[in-house]
Parts: sequence; structure tokens; C-alpha cells
Amino acid sequence: MTARARLVAAAAALGAMFLAAASSAAPARPAASTGPRPAPGAPLSVARDASTPAHGGSSWLSWGGHAEIRLAEDRVRGTSNPEWFSFGRVNGFVRTRITPKWAFAGEGTWDRGTDDFVMERLELAFRWKPTLLAHGGIFPLPLGRTNLEHDAPRNEFAEHSLVATQLVGVPNAMLGAGVRGASGAGRRTIYELDLVTGLSDGLLYDAAGGTRLPMGRNNYGDQNGVPALVGRLAFHPGTGREWGIAALSGPYNETKINGVTVDGRRWAHLVVADGTTAVAGFTLAAEAGVAFIDVPPGLNGLYAEDQWGASVEAIRSLSEPLFGRWENSALRAAVRADAVDLDRGMFGDSRHRISASLNVHRKPYAVARLGWYYEIQRDRFDNETPMAGVTFTAASYF
Amino acid sequence: MQNARGARRRAWLDPATLALSAVVLALAVLGCDELLTTKPPLGERFDQPLEGLSNGELGQFQRGQTQFRRAFTVREGLGPIFNNISCASCHSGDGRGRPENALTRFSRGTDPDLAEGGPQIQDKAIPGAEAERLPIGVEVSHRMPPPVFGVGLIEAIDEAGILANEDPNDANGDGISGRANMVAPPAFVPATEIGGGAAPRVGRFGRKAQVTSLLQQTVDAYHQDMGITTTFRPLENTNPLSSVVVPGLDQAPDPELDGGAVNDVMQYMRMLAPPTPGEMTPRREQGAALFASAKCGSCHIPTLRTGAHEIEALADRDVTLYSDLLLHDLGDGLADHRPDGSADGLEWRTAPLWGLRITREFLNGSLFLLHDGRARSVEEAIRLHGGEAAAARDAFAAMTGDERAALLDFVESR
Repeated sequence: MTARARLVAAAAALGAMFLAAASSAAPARPAASTGPRPAPGAPLSVARDASTPAHGGSSWLSWGGHAEIRLAEDRVRGTSNPEWFSFGRVNGFVRTRITPKWAFAGEGTWDRGTDDFVMERLELAFRWKPTLLAHGGIFPLPLGRTNLEHDAPRNEFAEHSLVATQLVGVPNAMLGAGVRGASGAGRRTIYELDLVTGLSDGLLYDAAGGTRLPMGRNNYGDQNGVPALVGRLAFHPGTGREWGIAALSGPYNETKINGVTVDGRRWAHLVVADGTTAVAGFTLAAEAGVAFIDVPPGLNGLYAEDQWGASVEAIRSLSEPLFGRWENSALRAAVRADAVDLDRGMFGDSRHRISASLNVHRKPYAVARLGWYYEIQRDRFDNETPMAGVTFTAASYF
Repeated sequence: MQNARGARRRAWLDPATLALSAVVLALAVLGCDELLTTKPPLGERFDQPLEGLSNGELGQFQRGQTQFRRAFTVREGLGPIFNNISCASCHSGDGRGRPENALTRFSRGTDPDLAEGGPQIQDKAIPGAEAERLPIGVEVSHRMPPPVFGVGLIEAIDEAGILANEDPNDANGDGISGRANMVAPPAFVPATEIGGGAAPRVGRFGRKAQVTSLLQQTVDAYHQDMGITTTFRPLENTNPLSSVVVPGLDQAPDPELDGGAVNDVMQYMRMLAPPTPGEMTPRREQGAALFASAKCGSCHIPTLRTGAHEIEALADRDVTLYSDLLLHDLGDGLADHRPDGSADGLEWRTAPLWGLRITREFLNGSLFLLHDGRARSVEEAIRLHGGEAAAARDAFAAMTGDERAALLDFVESR
């Protein structure tokens, strides 16, 4: 049996399993949770989106997770990647409401995009007022829509955008403390401001091939003794619409090695803007980011000081419900264009990609996607490497 | 009306139709190579393996390719002083590099000037280390990264075959006096390696043929260009003039790369095939004849032959590289006045011409020819020849425009 035949057979089998599982999935009790986007006028809640399905729990405790499997025929310049089956994401979470005002959440995620396990949450939150909460511990940085909402069953694409994986480093969570609130008429303005550990010098010293911000994600402790400031301000005019701007700024390097001062403070700044709206039956979403990194002089020319990336996606619901008797089902089509320039100081070191996906959702519990992507990667000589793939992915909460 | 629309909508949303559509869509995408990228034709790239390799050799080729492309991080031992982060960062697509990747080599007369950081400037440094600066009053030579394809074939050419073309005293009176650069290999290159052992051997690699073996070329590139220590050169390369000494600056234990990885990279380069030459058209036939009549081929000898080799694909075959691998005086215009081994400041190894046909594809449409990349076209490179090549240069200059174009077409089709 050829790889292609195996892929199709496995996709068909998994598709059938998915349909069976999704049809029989029963919602568990939604727990108190924090969402980046509360409905206008709704009080802020603590730890995860209130609509996240949990596997089980009680009035004060719930737990669950989600997983995604990926079958693909990926090719680089016409040569197939032998890894035709893999996990896309595996996530587990637990959350508890200690008192009506105090809550705690823990969450860990392995993500194929960054090939890394990240402790996304060990978060203690206190609801000060219905419109203001304080939190501390490890929590996802409010760096754009994707980092705040990336549960696999809700994604329309198998892969996160290049901005998300190459600049923000989704999932990106850090140790810190701060406040999150909503204000204004109808509580349509949402804000968050935190002091966090910040990026580490891994963005240079662990980065192969040039500056890579995700290699500087640092969620267990502050390496250089100076916290970073991260915040987001978003306007939420109504359901399905949001405009946000976020920034992270802080020093990233250690100035001493074995007690000897080797360098001064060097700063990294990341600004991310995102927007979601609905136009003519399409949901349009965009995310863009720019990064500025102060690179030591000895590494100039090889490590980027400026990076940027952007993605635009359009999603169209083709049929909701998909079948008359299958409630909460939906058939959606999605297309995305995204790009990232990992070194603005040179022609190469960039990636451009287009993606398309046809998805069957069992809202909000599961999704099966048939996708295709085509990507051009350019090396530091600006030589291009084309890569493409057809993917079948299925993700579900459990 | 609405009911009719609804019925049509339900019809195409029938589960069987949808499932079938999805499978058909998947098969269509899988069946359409254009949507999933296509393989480049054989001979159209610099990073393809030789034909006729065994499965075991191909496996080693793949492992070596991974190592060749591996970008080292500071945490993995990059530096403390270095020029670039990977092999592939200098050799674009396994071909030539660009002027910004050129290495700066220097010496004080015949002294490689180790005390001042010679023989090569490492212009990058990890934090806490000081990059090297060019000392005043030294002889300087900028060296472009050469292509790495075909180096296994160059290595496999019989020493006797190279020496047979020597004519150091111009005994035949043709004005060409090529000679081999006889170099004592470093001690870590065993006699079992081509170009290894205690006695001086024919230099084949480097702009002045100052390196005798692929093993030395590989080990020294890791050590000098990337600051990566190996079992062959286990001590870090440091800036001898640095005013700062930070203990534990380089965080990776030495050696930072084991002998197996070095061997994989060496074997990868050894098994890289040269690209296929272009088709011989009547115009190129004319160009080839002009190439010979202008005596370009006296140094750029079209074909040499390999001897016995443990890799069967390298053994006993013609190698059409257009080089005699010997040193020639190319005149003051190209001289770096910097000796290297027994090569003097006027001498350069004849550069192979193979691969010129597709070189531009990997350099954004540009060509950077000669040792320092100063020539942006084959014609410019020819016109910059001097010394022993002056007669050939003049013969080229005396040709009609059509003849020059035919010769250039031939050379650029190799």
C-alpha cells in the first residue's frame, strides 16, 4: 500500500471515528473560566473561556483537554516527508473555583508547530469586581487573538499562522502577575496589563539560523532579574467582532557570565495587532506582528534585529447545521494567506504560505478538517524551497 | 421556490455525496504534483547525490546533509569567535557564496600570524568575546566560499594524473607553467585518507590548493568558520588579542562535534554530484573550439580521471571539471601577495568551471567569480586574467563579438 493510499484509508477511518465520537459527545458542565472575549456586558470570569467543554467535574472542579491528530502528505520540493501521522496538539487542563471570587487553573499543551511542551497555566485569579480581576502565576500572554484562543477543536486550520508560530510562539505563557478588566459602555473595551518574566536570551543563543523569538519563551523564572511588561487593549463592538493591539517589552539577556559582566541590557519588543469582523457572510480575521531585538554587536548581520509577519484569513459557513438532525454541526470553508520575514535586514530568511481548509464542526466539541497548504521558504541567500501538503486533521475535546 | 432551493441544498449535503467529494478532493490534490511541489530534474541542483550510490551510502548522504545544514546555536558551542553559523550559510545551495560571506585571510609575509589571530579573521563573537580585527600592515586575501559539489570527484582524481599536467619550468614553451601545491597534511589526517599521511601531498582544495584532504577542509571549516571544536581539533579558537577573558564563556563542552558527525558531513560533500552540463548546440560547439584555440583549456583542462576509490560511484571515471587543479601565476591584477603553503602571492589554483550553468539560480541571478567575487560575469573574469593567462585573455579580446558570445555561451553552459 502506498503512502497516499494509507493516508486516504486512514483519513476515512478516522473521519468515521470522529463522526461517531462527535455525534455522541455530551457536554459536561461548563466551569467558571476566563475568556479574552467576554460577551459584551458579561462579567469577567476566571481561568479559561466559559464555553470550553470539560471532561468532567463538579460545581467547584472541572478537568479536560483536547487533542488533535494529523495525517498528511507533506512534500518538500517534491519529496515526501515520511512522517505521515503525528499529533498536532495535546492539551490537558484542570480548573477549580475555590470561592466565588478565587479560582485556580492549570493547563499544559504540546504543540507540533513549536515542537514543545508548554505549561500554559498555573494561574490563581481573584475577581475584584465583575469588571476587574487580578491574576498571578503562569498564564497565556495576551499577545493577539491566536495566543489567547488556540484550542485545537476551534481552529479552522491544522497549523497556526506563521505570525503565531514564528513571532508570538503560540502557545506562549509566562510567569507573572497583573490585572484584566473591561470598561466603557457595555464593557466593550477589554484590557490586560501584566508584569511577566519576559523573553530570555534563548531567542538568540538557542535559535538555529537567526533570531527566533519563540526560542526565548520563558515561563518558569526570570533569567535576568528584570520583568517585562505585556498588555493588550481590545475593543469588542459585538459578537464576532474585535480589534486588539498588544505589546511585550523587556530586557532579554543576562549581563553577567560567571560573575563577569559581558554585555549591557538588551531589549526585545513585540507588538501584535489583531482584528476579527464579519463581512458579506464571511468572517475575516487578521493578525500582524513586528519585533525589534537589540542584538549584541558580535552577532550583528547573522541575527535579525527586525522581524514582521501578518496573516489574513476568511471563513465561510457553508451549512449550519450540516444535516437536519445533527444539531450544532457546521460545514465551513476557510482560506488563509500568511507571511513572516524573520530578518528585515536581508532579502531572504522569510516564509510565505497559503492554506485552504474544508471543515466539519461539531460545535464546540470537535472538528475534522481536510486542508491543503503551499509554502515558499527562503533561506538567507534568498533561495526558495517550495513545500506543500494535503492534510487531514481531527481535533476534539475530551 | 424556497422548498425547491432547500431540496437542492439537502441533495448536495447528502452524507454520501459529501464523503465522496472529500475523498475525490483529497485524491485530486494528491494526484496533482503541481499542487504539492515537484522534484527538480536530475542535474539541475548542487545538492544532489551521485548516481550509483548504495543504499548505505545514500543513508550517510542524508545524515551528512542534515549536519551540513545544521545551524549551530551559541548554547551548542558556536564561537566564541566565528564567521557563520552553518556550512550551508556560506555555500548557497551547496554552490558558491556571496561576497558578504567571503572570508578574510591574512598573514605577515610567509608567517600565518597566529599571534595576531591569523590566518583568518573571525569577525563575529558571542557576548563576552571580542571579534577579531584586521591587524595593520598584513597581507590580506578575501576568499569567496567555493562550491562544495563535486569535491569527492576532485579528491578521487589520481595524484599522478594531476602531476602529469605539471610544467613548472614551461618546458613546452607555451607560456603556461602549472605546478602542484605540495602541502604537509595536519597530523589528524590519517594516511588512509586521500591527501593524508606524513609526506607532503598534492593540495587540491582551497583557492591556492592549500588543503590536501576533505577531512582537513571539513574540520578546519568547523573550527575556523564556526568556532565548533571536533575530536580532530578539540581546543577552541580564540582571539589572542582579546582584552577580556571570561571563564566558561563557551557553554558547550569540547569537543562540540564528534568524529561521526564530521565524517557524515565529509561523506555528504564527497557524494555530491556536479550538475549536468548543458546541451551542446552548434554555437556551443563553436565556443568549445574557440575555448581550445585561445588555450583556455591549457589550464582549464576539460577532463581528469579518478582512480580507485572505496565509493564505487567515484572510482575510475572521467571528471569534466575544466581545471588542472594546479597553481598558475595570474598576474599582479589578481595577486593577493599572500603566500599559502608553497603557493606564492601571484598564484591561484585553476578554478573549475563546472556548475556555472545554474550558479546564478542560487545567487539571486548574480555571479561572483574569481577568488574574491570581484567579477560579475564570465567575460569580466576572463578580462581580469593576467600572468600566464594573459595570452588567452588577449586571444579572447581579439575575437569578434559573435565569437566571444559563442565562447561565453559554452563556458556558461558547463
